[in-house]
Amino acid sequence: MTSSYDSPARAEGHGIPLRSAGPGRSRASGLKRRHLRAHGVVVAWAALALVAATAQQSLPVARWLAIHLFLLGAVTTAIVVWSEHFAVALLHARVPDERWSDARLAGVNVAVLGVLVGVWAQWPLLTGAACALLVVAVAAHLVVLVRMGRGALGGRLAPAVGYYRAAAVALIVAAVLGWLLATGRTGADGYAGVWLAHLHVTLLGWIGLPVLGTLFMLWPTVLGVRMAEHTTRIAPRVLALTGGGLLAAVAALALGLRWVAVAGVAVYAAGVAVALELFARTLRRRRPVSAAAAWMLGVAAGWLFAGVVVDLGTLAGGPLDRAQEGVGSLVPVLLIGFVAQVLIGALTYLLPVVLARGPKERAVLRAVLERGWVVRLVVLDVGVALVVLPLDEPAATTGMVLAGVAATAFLALAVSVLARRDGEGGAARRPMLFGTTAGVVVTVLAVLLANSGGDTKGTPAAVGSGTAATTRTVDVTLTGMRVRPSRIEVSAGTALRLKVTNKDAQRHDLKVDGGPGTPLLARGGSHVLDVGTVTENLEAWCTLSGHRAAGMTLDIVVRDGASGHPDGHSALADSGGPDHSAPFSTGWRARDAALAPAPGGTVHKVELHAAHTEAEVAPGVKQQLWTFGGTAPGPTLHGRIGDVFEVTLVNDDHGMGHGIDFHAGSLAPDRPMRTIQPGERLVYRFRAERVGAWLYHCSTAPMLQHMGNGMYGAVIIDPPGLRKVDHEYALVSSELYLGTPGSAAQVAKMRQDTPDAWAFNGVAAQYAKQPLKVKAGERARFWVVAAGPSDGIAFHIVGTVFDTVYKEGAYLLKPGDPGGAQVLDLAPAQGGFVETAFPQAGHYSFVDHDMRHAEAGAHGVVEVTK
Amino acid sequence: MTDTVGWWSLVRFLHVAGAALWVGGQLALSLVILPLARRMLTPEAKDRFVTQAGRRFGMLTGAVFLPVQLTTGWAMAWHKGVTWASLADPGYGRTLAAKLGLFAVVMLAAAGHGIAQSKGRADLARSLAVVSLVGSLGVVLLATALPAT
Repeated sequence: MTSSYDSPARAEGHGIPLRSAGPGRSRASGLKRRHLRAHGVVVAWAALALVAATAQQSLPVARWLAIHLFLLGAVTTAIVVWSEHFAVALLHARVPDERWSDARLAGVNVAVLGVLVGVWAQWPLLTGAACALLVVAVAAHLVVLVRMGRGALGGRLAPAVGYYRAAAVALIVAAVLGWLLATGRTGADGYAGVWLAHLHVTLLGWIGLPVLGTLFMLWPTVLGVRMAEHTTRIAPRVLALTGGGLLAAVAALALGLRWVAVAGVAVYAAGVAVALELFARTLRRRRPVSAAAAWMLGVAAGWLFAGVVVDLGTLAGGPLDRAQEGVGSLVPVLLIGFVAQVLIGALTYLLPVVLARGPKERAVLRAVLERGWVVRLVVLDVGVALVVLPLDEPAATTGMVLAGVAATAFLALAVSVLARRDGEGGAARRPMLFGTTAGVVVTVLAVLLANSGGDTKGTPAAVGSGTAATTRTVDVTLTGMRVRPSRIEVSAGTALRLKVTNKDAQRHDLKVDGGPGTPLLARGGSHVLDVGTVTENLEAWCTLSGHRAAGMTLDIVVRDGASGHPDGHSALADSGGPDHSAPFSTGWRARDAALAPAPGGTVHKVELHAAHTEAEVAPGVKQQLWTFGGTAPGPTLHGRIGDVFEVTLVNDDHGMGHGIDFHAGSLAPDRPMRTIQPGERLVYRFRAERVGAWLYHCSTAPMLQHMGNGMYGAVIIDPPGLRKVDHEYALVSSELYLGTPGSAAQVAKMRQDTPDAWAFNGVAAQYAKQPLKVKAGERARFWVVAAGPSDGIAFHIVGTVFDTVYKEGAYLLKPGDPGGAQVLDLAPAQGGFVETAFPQAGHYSFVDHDMRHAEAGAHGVVEVTK
Repeated sequence: MTDTVGWWSLVRFLHVAGAALWVGGQLALSLVILPLARRMLTPEAKDRFVTQAGRRFGMLTGAVFLPVQLTTGWAMAWHKGVTWASLADPGYGRTLAAKLGLFAVVMLAAAGHGIAQSKGRADLARSLAVVSLVGSLGVVLLATALPAT
């Protein structure tokens, strides 16, 4: 049987303890006024959320705003109001002081406003203060709920209040996690886990728990049947499952423990299933009190369960940063299908109960709120289904529009119910104030829309015809919560275009300060951003909340052509490629440029393994290379004329054939230069019959790629009677092509001969960072081999004159000659050496005098000390 | 585009003058005429006056102002080469789109004002009139952000 309640009034006589506004009671009419006010706030937040949702295509932050206006504004206000209302009724407790109730609600709403403004305007201090206020207000709400339980009579359904308490804790956790996200305190690595934890604790905790708790009594009431006998036993059990599961899941997600999180969500799902099973058994073949409310609550609970099950599968299916995308796409489903629908269903039933002053008016209000409910229900849920199903693009947008239409329709009905003027209690009549506010709000929205995407100052069209503006397109990648490159240098007046590609699992955009921005890009999405003519330093960043703070920024720096290096060479950093002035990673060491003396004996046995290697090829730039002997260039082989080299080539590579070609020996290429497959080996034997600085390289087609990715090296055969010098160096010059080896983009750069950098001994700018060290007056010999694959070299040492030049088998200049030389010029694959003495202490730059190459990595320093 | 007075400046003149007269008319009605009517006329006379004045202004809006604005606005957009797709572009396109959207809101508010007035919902009617007035000032603001055609 249904138990009887002592509460001030009972709705419908079917068991739900609701304090409805009865006639002749002054407290009841005060209650009604407060409900009117609170629900006016709920409707206003929801309406703003709808407006923001319509702008989410053009304003990326609008998506965040729409979600938070709805959940944090509308839904949070509703939960605070109704959980207190139901707690009083269920516990048969005294009504808490109304002024303090109002203060808590006001605190929550002020905090929400602060969070929204703080994140929108990127004021981390305001965001932090507002989050703190939210925590305080919700903690006060929690204290009231706990204290209400003490000494109260306690009704049969008192356990449901436990759901409200757990929910308040969940919101406190959600607020803290949200603050971490919005202010970028998670760092790039922790972002995915904390984001998922925030999402779960909000949707499944702050919203899911009170909804489940309320449904235990609301569901039978709406159906007009008795509550199932064992509801009292099952409700605490479901709370233990859902609350416990959620606690484990959220903690595990924040700490990045995926399988614990999966287990937690599974327990939560089990709890929801137990509750749904109870609800299903409550169904009777009789006409419900409110079919509209019953259907909406039922379908919403179904979406919750479906959402949790899909979430479980997504988390179990892959790492957390991958799961972000899948879980993120669930948000609209849970938001509309579950949360919005539960809110609509519950208010359809509850608003008439609390606002009406008698059965007659209740019926009238209910009739208004249920107007067209079948159509609205179908439109809303078809909309959700279109969003969730993996259909082509118009489907998702259509779905959002349908859901938006259904939600707007209910909002209009709710407004008409709330705005009914029936003598007392009507809203204050201030048409001027209302009209001005509404007018200003729509104007501000229109201006925001007009200004979205930035102004168009300095577009190429605006450049005067006198300036020869160069246009540069730079590939920008969004990945791992970083913008790569994070710094672009351009000369003033460059028309800059950014080809922005999102390679991250989650959605990003890129907005240039005071300039254009990309739309939100899903994984793999790409957009060309026309920055226009750059005349001053600019910053760009991802506008999603917290991403900028987590480090997703890009500096566009105008290079000042006049400013130079201390040594008179202007800044050697080219814009497109790596930043050569940046530091190498800690622990990095330059390759020793000194040429080791030729080993004794006349037969040199060498084993070379061909394999993939990762190396730092420019400051901070790691690159996958194909190598001989683990380095690019491969080891330098040094010998004398007549020496025999017995090279064993072992192919340790996976899935790729390699071969080798030594220019220093002459033989029939057919056998020794053949391509060997992974796991195979060959012996390449040649006698060095002639002097020179020789190239060796991979002999497998396409050689452009094998050499461009690092498979080259030098063989040095000393001329007889070579003079002794104080230092002997071997430098192999080459181009660097960044990107995935063999990818279309990288190969295109090789084909067009547009390297990302040029290098001596495989690493751009390495000897600028760790100079070669020589004493004043000492002589040095520089062996140089141009490995290409496409560019030769004009080797020059600033501040010196070569007195010896040996190129391709012959001396062009000897010390006794009156002439001097400034450059050793080598075509691709040629080699030679130069000698010079360093007259005084100082810093002597050595460069490829093709300045495009020098400024993009082909430079180093000889540091001469006394 | 020349700096002399030509046919297109006539079109633009009609557009700007229409907007000025409509916004000015609203301002004159709500700041000068209606307050005076409330103070100086008897309640019955005032009600009739307000209704008649509103109806007359509404007729003027529907019969003259709206057709002129739509025609001249459409003509200028065509002349400038505005397409539906270009309305989404940042800068000119979006500003124009925002202006059109706000103009639609203003017209809806004005129509709602007329309906509310005829149904005797005086407060709602006044609110909507103010929305329409403030919104039309917003339209003018956005219009000044658009470079001349």
